[in-house]
Amino acid sequence: MIKVTDLYKKIGEVQALNGLSFQAENGTITGLLGPNGAGKTTCLRTLFGLLKADRGQAEIDGLDIARQPLQARKQLGLFPDPFGLYERLTPREYLEFFAGINGMATADARQAAAKVLQVLQMDDIADRRCQGFSQGQRMKVALAQSIVHQPTNIVLDEPTRGLDVMSTRVLRELLLRLKQQGHCVLFSSHVMQEVAALCDQVVVMAKGRVLAQGTPAELCASTGKNNLEEAFIALIGTDEGIAA
Amino acid sequence: MIALIRTLLRKELLDASRDKRSVMAGLYYAIGTPVLMCLLFAVLLQQLSSNDELYIRIDNVDAGPALVQYLANRDILHGDESKARAIRLSLADNFEQQMQQGRPATVILDADHSDDRLLSSIRRIERALGHYNSEVAQLRLMARGIDPALMQPVDVQIHDQATPDSRGGMFLGIATLTIILTLFYAAMNLAIDTSAGERERNSLTLLLSQPLLSWQLVVAKVLAITSFSMLGLVVILVVSKFAYGLVPWEQLGFTIRLNADFMLFTLLIGMPLALLSASLQVLVSFMAKSFKEAQTYVTMVLFIPLTLSMVTTYNIASDYVQWLPIAAQQQAMIEYLKGSALPLPQLLVSTLLTLLLFVLFSYGSSRLLKSEKVVFGL
Repeated sequence: MIKVTDLYKKIGEVQALNGLSFQAENGTITGLLGPNGAGKTTCLRTLFGLLKADRGQAEIDGLDIARQPLQARKQLGLFPDPFGLYERLTPREYLEFFAGINGMATADARQAAAKVLQVLQMDDIADRRCQGFSQGQRMKVALAQSIVHQPTNIVLDEPTRGLDVMSTRVLRELLLRLKQQGHCVLFSSHVMQEVAALCDQVVVMAKGRVLAQGTPAELCASTGKNNLEEAFIALIGTDEGIAA
Repeated sequence: MIALIRTLLRKELLDASRDKRSVMAGLYYAIGTPVLMCLLFAVLLQQLSSNDELYIRIDNVDAGPALVQYLANRDILHGDESKARAIRLSLADNFEQQMQQGRPATVILDADHSDDRLLSSIRRIERALGHYNSEVAQLRLMARGIDPALMQPVDVQIHDQATPDSRGGMFLGIATLTIILTLFYAAMNLAIDTSAGERERNSLTLLLSQPLLSWQLVVAKVLAITSFSMLGLVVILVVSKFAYGLVPWEQLGFTIRLNADFMLFTLLIGMPLALLSASLQVLVSFMAKSFKEAQTYVTMVLFIPLTLSMVTTYNIASDYVQWLPIAAQQQAMIEYLKGSALPLPQLLVSTLLTLLLFVLFSYGSSRLLKSEKVVFGL
């Protein structure tokens, strides 16, 4: 479970987070939907304790990231944007490394990496160096990295960008499986179709604030529109969406 | 905690060892420098020892056969154009006559005194002529029944305490300079790659999102770089041993012999320096905003160890400098090679200083990694 309460963060002259509050439950896929510059990435960075909030707090499974960063981060898996792969390592080495720094012993890390490689059907590329991988292959490595240490919460920053249909399907199936297993999945996106198709809960944000939260159907109903895109535009107001 | 640092270190080592270009760039220095120095030394020695037989042009040889013979006994000979150096000694036509009459006989020494390569030869000829002068003068005084000792109010006796090994000071300085600077140059690319490069490839934020403390990350990086510096040190020591073995030292009467004891000693005192070098380069790279900027800054910062080493090499270190890192270690290496007593207090203090700087620089890096500005390059 991820809970964000009244977060404020100013970066330079920009008030990136302006009283942001929302909650993402276990066994649920929550989409953080907002135009470019809405503060999605700032929110996720604050969630991991990379940025320190000026006010407010972020909790992971009840652990305050500012007070107990190490324990809180152990409950988090990050699918970052950009991926941050090590070009000279193989996916297997990469995964064993991330399992290791999340506290797994060498043998356990090896086992965990092997399991994730199998789940994501990556055995054919498992022992090739990441250099020269396709975007889809890179996505898989990043995705595997975010779940290799079996965290309760998985956070994805713009996961569908630049993916072809096949890769998007892999991603979607994995997220649904994680949801069924009771994980809390939070992802940021500005792609309506993706959010509409996957999310149980949508948090619409702009200018560092939450404008609305609910299921896609609830959002459509509350705005009187018949699809999420129209509802989204109605919620943020056209000017804001384009100007940001 | 130890397991975490070990995991980080293993990844750093694996990643760095596959960065063939950076590793090789470091090793090129370690392999190439001793070979270059070996050639340089050979040329220098040739110059130093070439004063066995000095050929110059002597005009009017017949005018003063005794003087010419005297010079010849001192290996200063008349040679033809191709062989002789650009020094001309002209005897006046009336040389013999003047000598016989006990009057000053003119000899003209004609050479370009601003030409450094001729200077030692010119001095040698001047010295020889001076000796001839006083010998003839003494004979004349004796012939007139006067004690020649009158002409020598002060009896200057020069005792040269230089041993052949101490004479090779400059060579030792240069040899140890190249060895000690390996610690700084061998891992330069790796240090930049693992810090500024890590940030530029966007893996730094991902790493910092993991359950680890920034100092653990810094320590792992510094240790990884240190191991490559030490590898560079081992390589340059081995290559130097063979390269300097080929230099014709016997012309100088001393040799640079890098035996196993010396190598172990160097590895021992080099270890803290390697830590210092790695932590310094990581700190500077993290301070820079980009990979290229880091390269510029690191290159600039490496002038500091270079200066400290140069000062030691040319033996112009003030008393303070001898207590500083690099300078003291290099001095100790030089003394070790000379077989003299080691400057132990200096070595101890500078080793402690070195380790203190390593801690400070590492702490600085881990502070930087907590800064939002540094991590995101804001």
